[in-house]
Amino acid sequence: MTLKRLHHLSAIELRDLFLQGEVSAVEIATYFLKRIQKHNKDLGAFLTPLEARALLKAEALDRKRSQNKPLGKMAAIPVAIKDNMHVNGEITTCASHFLVDYKAPFDSTASRLMEEEDAILIGKTNLDEFAMGSSNENSAFFPAHNPWNLKCVPGGSSGGSAAAVAARLAPIATGSDTGGSIRQPAGFCGIVGYKPTYGRVSRYGLVAFASSLDQIGPMTTNVADAALTMEVIGRYCTHDATSLDLPQESYLLSKELEPGTVIGVPWQFLQNLKPEVLENFQEAVESMKRLGAKIVDVDLDLLKYSIAVYYILATAEASTNLARFDGIRYGLRARQAKTLEEVYELSRQKGFGQEVKKRIMLGTYVLSSGFQDAYYKKAQKVRTLILEGFEKAFSKCDTIMMPIAPSAAFERGSISDPIEMYLQDIFTVPANLAGIPAISVPSGYDRRHMPLGIQFIGPQLCDVPVLQYAYAYEQATRHAKIPPLYVEDHK
Amino acid sequence: MRGDLPYDLWEPVIGLEIHTQLNTKSKLFSSAPNHFGDEPNTNITVVCTGQPGALPVLNKEAVKKAIQFGLAIGSEISLVSSFDRKSYFYPDSPRNFQITQYETPLIRGGIITADVGGISKTFAINRAHLEDDAGMLKHFSTFAGIDYNRAGAPLVEIVSEPCIHSAKEASAYAMAVRAILLYLDVSDGNMEEGSLRIDANISVRPKGEKGLRPRIEIKNMNSFTYLEMAIEAEVTRQIALYLKNPNRNPIELIPPGTYRWDPETKETILMRHKESADDYRYFPEPDLVPIVLTQSYLDELKASLPELPHDRFRRYVSDLGLSEYAASTLINEKALSDYFEEALKTCPHPRMLCNWITVEFAGRLKDTGKNLLNIGIPPHHLAKLVLLIEQGKITGRIAKSIADDMVASPGMDPEAIVHQNPDYQPVADVESIEPIVDEVLAANPQSIADYKAGRDKAFAFLVGQVMKQTRGKASPQVVNDLLRKKMK
Repeated sequence: MTLKRLHHLSAIELRDLFLQGEVSAVEIATYFLKRIQKHNKDLGAFLTPLEARALLKAEALDRKRSQNKPLGKMAAIPVAIKDNMHVNGEITTCASHFLVDYKAPFDSTASRLMEEEDAILIGKTNLDEFAMGSSNENSAFFPAHNPWNLKCVPGGSSGGSAAAVAARLAPIATGSDTGGSIRQPAGFCGIVGYKPTYGRVSRYGLVAFASSLDQIGPMTTNVADAALTMEVIGRYCTHDATSLDLPQESYLLSKELEPGTVIGVPWQFLQNLKPEVLENFQEAVESMKRLGAKIVDVDLDLLKYSIAVYYILATAEASTNLARFDGIRYGLRARQAKTLEEVYELSRQKGFGQEVKKRIMLGTYVLSSGFQDAYYKKAQKVRTLILEGFEKAFSKCDTIMMPIAPSAAFERGSISDPIEMYLQDIFTVPANLAGIPAISVPSGYDRRHMPLGIQFIGPQLCDVPVLQYAYAYEQATRHAKIPPLYVEDHK
Repeated sequence: MRGDLPYDLWEPVIGLEIHTQLNTKSKLFSSAPNHFGDEPNTNITVVCTGQPGALPVLNKEAVKKAIQFGLAIGSEISLVSSFDRKSYFYPDSPRNFQITQYETPLIRGGIITADVGGISKTFAINRAHLEDDAGMLKHFSTFAGIDYNRAGAPLVEIVSEPCIHSAKEASAYAMAVRAILLYLDVSDGNMEEGSLRIDANISVRPKGEKGLRPRIEIKNMNSFTYLEMAIEAEVTRQIALYLKNPNRNPIELIPPGTYRWDPETKETILMRHKESADDYRYFPEPDLVPIVLTQSYLDELKASLPELPHDRFRRYVSDLGLSEYAASTLINEKALSDYFEEALKTCPHPRMLCNWITVEFAGRLKDTGKNLLNIGIPPHHLAKLVLLIEQGKITGRIAKSIADDMVASPGMDPEAIVHQNPDYQPVADVESIEPIVDEVLAANPQSIADYKAGRDKAFAFLVGQVMKQTRGKASPQVVNDLLRKKMK
């Protein structure tokens, strides 16, 4: 195996090569750090490469291997971390001017678990500021670009992670998914993105956007790597009160679909889909039929309310979660402020971008007395109805298939209407509202050769089955490819 | 002024909110030590300073202690309760929202029984809930700093019904609440350190009027004395305003606002008006799951409650024969009451003991800022002192001197004090007292005549003369007997 083709390998293959002694951890780390150095200027995928940390860890891994010490499940796998998750001692910016200098005082549980399993944390990836956005255009520093077409957005908010993995600057990245922030960019960049059951992965160390919706998950080039990551990070954590106190799952996957698998499709809800996207989706449904699945129609018309519900609940929670950014204890403090009021006002004015301000204001509004019943409380009720709607649908089927987004990746700056932008999340938001697992898998390409994706959604706690359906589909269709610009070997 | 008739025609209506810090080892939502008085910003974790990415995790011990309080006052404990975010910006609030229980408090209802001037009264509790404390601002000459050591300390906010009708009732109620907290060992109730803080909502109305008039709130009173003074002052202020402006709309006279008590000027000072109601934008805290309890857990806690102050009060009055006033003085200070119980083990004279604890020693220690316990006088020394009196070994007067010495050198056994000081050793032998009696009688023939004429004062004068000669050491009984015998 020559060093030249490391980025063509899956994370598991890389690890195995390292375990077999074919390649050293330092070689792996150096290889991917070089790729980052070479491509990041164009891609904007990384905000902070963790060069020193990665090399230190790699050296330690090589020592460990030479001493025949036991190595972890993610040994020598470079992992990129979305920059709203803490890595102790490194800067966490959340792609915001507010936190440019904020050094994380502790580890996020997910990144700690991966490091304990010997993953090499290789860098912090770009995102929409505080994970608010669907295109990565809301990064306060620079946008990330889509490796399939640099004029296009990589999706958001985990756009940096998606671009990094798609361009093979790292085989695995983490994302956080509040309304589709893992799955939509995964779909836009032609990779796999997994949002676990709410509570499966600890949120400790994830800078909260909307606490009741946020969930960390893996973004990978293939389903098996996502399963491996879940095996490591899908664990109960005492630092997160909403973490599920359940035994660790085993994510062994099989190419076969279990006989009698029933897949639900909410055809009514999908009726206004663009022909191109609909066609691609229908093909995916056909593939599952060929694997032996039975397809049934499920009624989820209620999901048309999910965007409205989401933008009330998510902004309400965000308005309080982001209240801590006040210029007092950490982060940006406006220098010209002379009074306490000014410290608050000017620091927040300067520190937050437009989209963040808009959402804080929306959230403050929907929670204010006199409006709370009409907005927040009503949205909570509809959220419950959506949850019940899914429960009812899952009484008829094992998993639900839907497209990831109304279209493939769009060009930067092409969507200026905020509602149109928010509608990007129409197919992804429901799983967050219901707290259920959902995975985005590549399903082909549109006429412009931009990737398309579909998702499998499962009932609560059915994380393993959802990965299993995606795996069977992936193995049968094999749509994932390296974007042409990034195929070439590293010199 | 308050004795004036017009004032007596008005009725104060008062509700108290008592914030008490629970004495748990760690804070309500973090593992940081819950400890007062350390170097600023040493008892903190990432949760206490509201670091991004930090999450609250509920301390079960705090829930347990709050429940114990609820059970002690006969409240209904919610089997399911939850937390809410209360949003406001202030530097001592690390997340700029407080985590409290708004929609579903842990504790609903309950009754506090308190002795008000010798009369037992009951006060209804509306609710009590868990919430986290804020940090503390410290102002320096050119800047202010924030100490987050207190941020996240577990608080129970105990909200009474507006069922309190005088300053005396208010402090009696608050003292009773504090006593219960101390008996349960759920709070140290230390008002100077701020582990018990009282807010009062106050309005007044003409006696007989049904509705409530506008009320104001006085924040953060940290002693029972200030509580009483503040309420007195505020009630007087409100009545005076109504009397002076009989035709004005009450809401114009007493606009709702937040006040503080100024101990210097002895006035309530307006901090801010509540013209537009504060909008705290309460909504369910999404980082925490509801508190779900089982009935068997509550039963278990209820069965293990210790003796409560009111039970002790009844025992003191009916079994030990203490006056209600004395009993309530003792029970309100758990440490003192425990001291009393300890002394009682070796000295079966409860009323004497109580008097020495609550009057004699309390008086001697009043200005020292100490009490019997922390000055280091063990209960069995007090017990011995009372036994010496009861056994006629010392006179009351000498006992008082011995008490002075006990305060001056705490830890000295009263028997040893008597032993070392010949002046304290009473003279009870007739041989040594008789010559003095004879001397006094010889020198005061007129008094003898007066005594024989039935004037009691003359007898007391003669006793006094003998005592003067013996410097108080003569046994009073012996002196009385001798004088009576000789003047027959």
